[in-house]
Amino acid sequence: MDISPQADAPPLELRNVTKFYGDFKAVDDVSFTLPAGSICGFLGPNGAGKTTTIRMILEIIQPTSGVITVLGRPSALEVRQRIGYLPEEKGLYKKMKAWSVIAYFATLKGLTRKAARQRAFELLERYGLKDFAAKPTEALSKGMGQKVQMLASIAHDPEFIILDEPFSGLDPVNQQVMEEIIRDMAGRKRTILFSTHVMQHAERLCERILLMTKGKKIFDGTIAEAKRTLPRRVRIETDDDIGPLRALEGVISVGPVETAGGAAGANGSGHWELQIGENADPQAILQMCFAKGIRLRGFNQSDPSLHEVFMHLVGPEAREATFR
Amino acid sequence: MKFVFLVAWREYSENAKTKGFWIGLFMFPVIILLSISVSVVLQTKGTPVRHYVLVDQSGKFAAVVESRLEQLKTHSQPGATDSNAPPRSFQAVTLPAGIDTNADLASLARELKPYLRGEKKVTADGREVELYAAILIPRDIEKQIVRPRAGPAGTNAAGGSIEYWSANLADSTLREAVEEAVNKEIRRREYLARGLDGAAIREVEQTHAPFASLNPNKEAGQEAVNGADIIRQWAPSGFVYLLWVAIFTISQMLLNNIIEEKSNRIIEVLLSSVTPGELMMGKLFGIAASGLTMVGVWMASLFGALIWKSGAASEITGQLLLALQTSNLIPMFLFYFLLGYLLYATLILALGSVCNTIKEAQSYMGMITMIMMVPMLTMTFIPKDPNGTLARVLSWIPIYTPFTMMNRVNAHPPLFDLIGTTLLLLASTAAALWMAGKIFRIGILRTGQPPKIIEMLRWIKG
Repeated sequence: MDISPQADAPPLELRNVTKFYGDFKAVDDVSFTLPAGSICGFLGPNGAGKTTTIRMILEIIQPTSGVITVLGRPSALEVRQRIGYLPEEKGLYKKMKAWSVIAYFATLKGLTRKAARQRAFELLERYGLKDFAAKPTEALSKGMGQKVQMLASIAHDPEFIILDEPFSGLDPVNQQVMEEIIRDMAGRKRTILFSTHVMQHAERLCERILLMTKGKKIFDGTIAEAKRTLPRRVRIETDDDIGPLRALEGVISVGPVETAGGAAGANGSGHWELQIGENADPQAILQMCFAKGIRLRGFNQSDPSLHEVFMHLVGPEAREATFR
Repeated sequence: MKFVFLVAWREYSENAKTKGFWIGLFMFPVIILLSISVSVVLQTKGTPVRHYVLVDQSGKFAAVVESRLEQLKTHSQPGATDSNAPPRSFQAVTLPAGIDTNADLASLARELKPYLRGEKKVTADGREVELYAAILIPRDIEKQIVRPRAGPAGTNAAGGSIEYWSANLADSTLREAVEEAVNKEIRRREYLARGLDGAAIREVEQTHAPFASLNPNKEAGQEAVNGADIIRQWAPSGFVYLLWVAIFTISQMLLNNIIEEKSNRIIEVLLSSVTPGELMMGKLFGIAASGLTMVGVWMASLFGALIWKSGAASEITGQLLLALQTSNLIPMFLFYFLLGYLLYATLILALGSVCNTIKEAQSYMGMITMIMMVPMLTMTFIPKDPNGTLARVLSWIPIYTPFTMMNRVNAHPPLFDLIGTTLLLLASTAAALWMAGKIFRIGILRTGQPPKIIEMLRWIKG
C-alpha cells in the first residue's frame, strides 16, 4: 500500500465547522489543517468540543455546517480503511479473546481474516501482551485492555490516526508503552491527532498543538509558536537585592516565584522570575548580576511549559468550562 | 455488504460461544425426548399391576366385580397376541392368613390397615407385593340400597356402605370400576325383582345411532377424522408456542448484545469503521442466523425423535409425525419465524440503541413482553375457531400476524388473509426497519437518560 502523503491532500482539513446539539453550540466555526506526517496534540478543557470534533471528523456524527475533508475525501467513511480511531471511552467485547478483538476490528478495516489474525499476534507480541493473546478481554487489567484497544485501532496500519485521550487511566509504565506506540507510528510517517489533558504528553510527543475551548479554536500551530505566546523568562536564585535588574533593557517584569518555602523576598527562599522581551538577551542579565555583585545560587533560562501556555490561553475559562 | 457480513459473522460466532445459546439449542430437544420417552414409559410401565383384596360377605358381587376388572389391562398394544397379552391392571389376592373373612367390617379394616399402609406385604403368585386397595362388601348390602323416592334405606353406622380402602386417592379407576360393576348387578337384580326383562333393557340400553366425525377439508372418500387429523388441528398451537419462545429468546439475545456494545462504548469504534445501517443489518442477520440455527436444531430433533420413537412404542408420536409430514407446518413455521423475528428484532434494536443499561431496557422490554403475551393467551382459542373474527382481526395486526397465522395454518385460511397479512407484515417490517434505522443512528451514540417517545418520533421525522 502506498501511503506516502500527497502534498496537495492534507490528512485533515476542517473549514468553518459548526455543530449544534439542540440550542447548544458544541463546536463553533472551527477551521484547521493538519499537515501530513505530524503528531498533533488536540488540547482543551473538558467540554471544549474535542470529542464532538473528532466524531465529526470520523463521520460518526454530522456537522451542522462546514466542510470536513479527510485524506482528500469529503467523507471519512470512504477512506475508513486508512483511518484508525481510539475513542475516549474505552471498551471491548468482554467475552472475546484479545487477539480476536484486534483481528475483528482489523477485518472491519479491510484486512483479510488471515492477515488480521497474523497482525493481531504480531502486535500483541511486540507490545508485551503475547501471553494474554488468548485471554478473554474481561480477564485483562484496565491498562492491558486499553493497550489491546489501541492495538485494535491501529492493526490495519492506518495512515491517519485519531486518539481520544489515549493516556487516561494508564499507569506511568503503560503510558510509556502508549507513547512508544505513537512514536513508532510517527516514525513511519503516519499522521496522528490525539487529544489529551496531560500537557506533558503533548509536550513530549507533539510537533503541533490545536487548542480549543468552549467550542472555539484558540490556537493552532507548533509547540514553539505556542510558547512564544508567553514572554520568555529567566529564573534566578539569590539572597541579594535584585533591584538593579529591573532597570535592565528587555526585562518586562520581575516577580517572586512561589515555592514550597513561601514567597521570595524578606522571608523568602530568594527565587525570582524575570519576564523578558522576545529580543532580550538572557546573557545580559547574567552580566549585570556579576557587575552589581549579585551572588547567584542559581540561574535558569527556560521556556514556559505547555501547561503555562494552556493556562494562559484558556484563561480562567478553563475552570468554568461546562462539562458535557 | 461485506461489512454487514463481517458484523453478522462476529455476532453469530460470538453467540455460538455463549452458554445461553447452547442451552437454548438443547433445551428443546431434551424436553421433546424426555416427554416422548416419559409418555412411552408411562404407557408401558407407568401403571404397574396393582393388587387388591375383595371381601364379599354378601357373596353376590365378587363374580361381577372380577369379570369387570378382567377387562382392565395395563396397556393395550395393537397386534398383541394372547401369549404376550398385557397383564391386568388390578389383580385380586387372597386375604392374608389369619384374617377372618366373616369378621365384621370394622375389624376387617383394622386388620388390613397395616397392609394398606405398606407396613406389611401380601403374597401374590408367590411374590410379596403391596396391597393397593381393599374392597369390603357387607353382608347386608342389599338392605342398604338407595332407591329414589324411598329415601336411604335404614342406613346405620354399623352395617352400611361398601367400603373402598386405599391409600391412593389420586387414581380412582379401581373404585369406579367396582362401583360400576356392583351397581350394574344391583340394577339387573332390581329389574328382575320388579318383573322387568333385564335382557331386553340391556339391549335397549345398547341401541345407538352411528356417529362419525368428518372433515370437509379432506379428500372425498377419506373424510373420516382420525387421530392425526386432531393432532394436525392442534399442532399449530404447539408451533405458535415454539415461535414465541424462539422469537423471545433471540430478541433477548439481541437486546443484551446491543446494550453490551453501547455500555462498553465499543459502538464508537464500530461506527468509525461501518455505517450505522451496516451495523444494524449485520446484527439483524447475525442474530437471525443464530436463531435459525436454533430452530433448525429444534425441528431436526423433533423429527428425529418422532421418527425414532414412532414405532409401536407410541401411537401419538406416529400420528404427530404423520401430521407434520402431511401439512406445511414446518415451512410455515420457518417462514413466520423469519418474518416475526425481523419485525420484533427491529423494534428491539431501536429500543436497545436508546438504552444504556439492561436495567433501563428492562422497563421497555416489559412493555414488549406484555404485547407479546396476546398470542400466548389466544393460542388455544384460535384453533377452535381458526377463521373466526378474533383470529382474523389478530392476523391483520402485524405484530401478531406470525403467531396468529401460524395458529391458523392447518385451518385453510382464506387466500386473501394468507397473502394480505403477509404483505402487510412485510411492509410493516420494512417500515419498522426504516424507523429503527433512524432511531438507531441517533440513539446508539447517546448517553444519559433514555429519550422520550416524542423525542424518538422527532428523530424518525428528522
